[in-house]
Amino acid sequence: MLENIPILSLLILFPLVGALVVFLMGKSDKAAKYTALFFSAIPLALSILVLTEFSLTGGFQFEEQYEWISFLGISLHLAVDGVSITMVFLSALLVFLAILFSWDVKERLNQYLALMLILDAGILGVFTSLDYFVFYIFWEVVLIPMYFLIAIWGGVNRAYASIKFFIYTHVASLAMLLGIFALYFTTAPMLIENGVIPADAIGTFDMLAIASVAGGLGEALQIAIFGALFFGFIVKMPMVPFHTWLPDAHVQAPTAGSVLLAGLLLKMGSYGIIRICLPTLPTAAVDFQIIMAVIGVVSIIYGAFACLAQTDLKKMVAYSSVSHMGIVMLGIATLSWLGIAAAVFQMFAHGLITAVLFMVCGMFQHKTGTREIPLLGGLAPKIPILSTVMMMGFMASLGLPGMIGFLAEFSVFTATFDTWGLWVFVPIATVALTAAYYLWAMQRSIFGELTDKIDTSKLHDAYWFEIIPLAVLLGLIVLFGIWPAFVMDLITPSIPLVWPLGVI
Amino acid sequence: MDYGAIYPELILILFAAALPALHWLFKSSRALASISLVGIAASIGTVVYYMVNGYPDVIGNVNTPLLGFDALAAVFSLVFLSVAFYVVLASAMYIEGENHLAEYYSLILLATAGMMLVASAYDLITIFVGLELASMSTYALVAFRKRDKRGAEAAVKYVIIGAFSSALALYGISILYGLAGTSNLEGINAALAVQGTELATLLAIALVIAGFGFKVAIAPFHMWAPDVYEGAPSTVSALLASSSKKMGLVLMFKIFLVGMIALKADWDVVVGILAILTMTVGNILALSQTNIKRMLAYSSIAQAGYILMALPLATVVSDYAITGGIFHIITHAFMKGGAFIVVAALAYVAIGESISDYKGLGKRSPFLAFSMTIFLFALAGIPPLSGFMSKVVLISASIQAAETTQWMLWLGVALVLNSALSLYYYVRVIKNMYVEKGDSVERIKLPVSMAAAVAICLIATIGLGIFFDPVLELSSEAAKVLFPTLMG
Repeated sequence: MLENIPILSLLILFPLVGALVVFLMGKSDKAAKYTALFFSAIPLALSILVLTEFSLTGGFQFEEQYEWISFLGISLHLAVDGVSITMVFLSALLVFLAILFSWDVKERLNQYLALMLILDAGILGVFTSLDYFVFYIFWEVVLIPMYFLIAIWGGVNRAYASIKFFIYTHVASLAMLLGIFALYFTTAPMLIENGVIPADAIGTFDMLAIASVAGGLGEALQIAIFGALFFGFIVKMPMVPFHTWLPDAHVQAPTAGSVLLAGLLLKMGSYGIIRICLPTLPTAAVDFQIIMAVIGVVSIIYGAFACLAQTDLKKMVAYSSVSHMGIVMLGIATLSWLGIAAAVFQMFAHGLITAVLFMVCGMFQHKTGTREIPLLGGLAPKIPILSTVMMMGFMASLGLPGMIGFLAEFSVFTATFDTWGLWVFVPIATVALTAAYYLWAMQRSIFGELTDKIDTSKLHDAYWFEIIPLAVLLGLIVLFGIWPAFVMDLITPSIPLVWPLGVI
Repeated sequence: MDYGAIYPELILILFAAALPALHWLFKSSRALASISLVGIAASIGTVVYYMVNGYPDVIGNVNTPLLGFDALAAVFSLVFLSVAFYVVLASAMYIEGENHLAEYYSLILLATAGMMLVASAYDLITIFVGLELASMSTYALVAFRKRDKRGAEAAVKYVIIGAFSSALALYGISILYGLAGTSNLEGINAALAVQGTELATLLAIALVIAGFGFKVAIAPFHMWAPDVYEGAPSTVSALLASSSKKMGLVLMFKIFLVGMIALKADWDVVVGILAILTMTVGNILALSQTNIKRMLAYSSIAQAGYILMALPLATVVSDYAITGGIFHIITHAFMKGGAFIVVAALAYVAIGESISDYKGLGKRSPFLAFSMTIFLFALAGIPPLSGFMSKVVLISASIQAAETTQWMLWLGVALVLNSALSLYYYVRVIKNMYVEKGDSVERIKLPVSMAAAVAICLIATIGLGIFFDPVLELSSEAAKVLFPTLMG
């Protein structure tokens, strides 16, 4: 039944159409909200549909290809494998929940929702496209709505943070673009020789075609191209020392913006490494292995220490993202099937968990008027639901067994041990640090004595539109924590195709 | 003899000549604008007719023709005519109630005819005639508001610099003629190829670069541009940035690639360095501007640097680089022109030219703010807008050229770094429009003709980003004209 429906194109098209419709709805806030929710529910429904029909074989499925610019060899090539379908589901889910969570936004609501839907389309495009050019366009399309979300609905210092975010990530994208062009031109002669593209073509941007011959490039060239692409991706992740845009952007962004930024945009970086760098330039990846590992471990440690020093709840969560994305990088750096699969699993886990954390931060800001940990305190009896959710979110993030974060981190560390032996204790030591900053923050903000800084008389616990997204997310966190096979079985068969060299 | 090759120009010149007479019958700016639009449309029709039914014969001796209407001339004519079209459309209300209305439209048509002449020239003399026709007309246009002090100052500067640069270029051209014994571009190339490099040839190259460098506002010959763009009426600034500058670039393409390709080893590095210098200087100076027209002027300088990059690249990857250059000229004509028209439209409703005057514009005029955002994002090269696509072709040409000539990679890297730099000042305007709160929240009412002019540019800027395959092929066809050996 599904063979004849271009399901992936529809997945991207619906949010775009929705953005236009919602934008044109103008004044009617209520109608705009329901419409936006509807148009974000469609990709979610479609992604679940894809999941039910997905066969656990590892190859690309639901493939679609349309000519776009034949002069340059660009086509709209969409397909999903186990890695991308996981991310597609995460994206569709988080955008849907983020729109629900924004139920009480009032200012310029139609524009806000339209931007969220454009963001949705862009991210889904990044995770499904198999053409470098289209991939790059979607990659950049994601930037613009996020820039406006921060710049218009952000905090006091939003202008600075939004421009910093925009320029940092744009510069990184441009480096990536250079790398893409280098691949495009250097692989063209080989592809012509193999008869993949006609003799008079300039080249092709097809990822799979390029990956099939890029191994034949000289090693120095491979390293140069890998470096350009890798730079583009790690700024997005972000890895130390290119992480400085992240805390600024998160602190200023509106809650839903933070949820999507940490939940999805950061994943684009690590997805890029897994989808592009590893399968296309495996020789260079081996050369970069130590660099990747060091960057990953430094990010894990630096992020954790930075968390300890924060007094702003949201900034702490932002730095914890740096630390947790470092775990993803470490998993990739092991260059083993287990490690890479675990990295994808950690991306998925971090997406769910960090969404909860940023929602919690947003609710604190909303209800108490501050996110400064020293000003909070003793709030658990006053706002029991929010406090419970915060506790569960923090536990999930510090890697409590039984929740999804534990398994993801455990698998990464197992792979690390397989590759580097006892060095694994360096990153593992920071898990204790992670526990420390979460527990300490929790102790100060919801337990202990009430401070006189918060007016508790007007304190309102979570609303329905806040409870539903949080309940869904926490439900999934526990569900996949207990039953990780569902996600892992999806990811694992695709990993040998992503990493052709096997265990190094 | 068949004069079909200059019919498109002749139509414009006829209308230009008729307009002052028609002013006795029609007093309103709108009526005169409509007549001009008819003339431009007729000219566009002729160009399209030629593109579909084949190009007319060249004018002059078949072996040493003076001019000919070929694919290159057709593409550039369409660019110049489209710019003239939306500039006239926007001017209808913009200059309403001023003196010398007929002359204004007449001059726009004449300037456009001059530029088209340059685009179809095969001979130095034709080039010079077209160049002067376009230059004289634009001098007068810049001075259109002669009682405005800034305008008058700008016009005087423009005339003096223009005359000076024409003299330099003419001197260079005369040396070339002296060396080659012919004024035909291909003939010059053939003669120079035999003679090789002499001191006089180097002098000629230097003078030609300096002379036309002034016209295009290449660094270090760019100082006049911001003053002139700022002082001129915004519609005229649009014309200067979108077509006059492009005429200078097509002229350089012709002289360097048709007339002096034999000497490429003498000029490729110099032009490459000038291109990098131009884009960098333009962007760095744009960063600190507070007046939007000056900022757009500096951004035009930077964009000319991007286009100029195509010249040295063309010595290695020939027509592919020029395809990128021409494509960027086309996209730039709409994104930069559109930005200037937005400035004109806002000036029409009494909003100043300072960037801080644009605060809160997102609420006051969603259409203009949105259009400006698209134009600026396109200029910065954000996909999927047109400016991104044309930059992509240029960058890719640089990387392709670098496979054999390594230093050319730096041209692409410079473009990339400059694009990143430029994003900062473009986003600053967008920030003012959407993030900052303005003093007034009153909605802006815009005349239909101005909105239409902006809409044309907007549609072209978005459309060329998504459906650019035919335009790219057209540019490619036009670029091949400059490489006669490829045609054979």
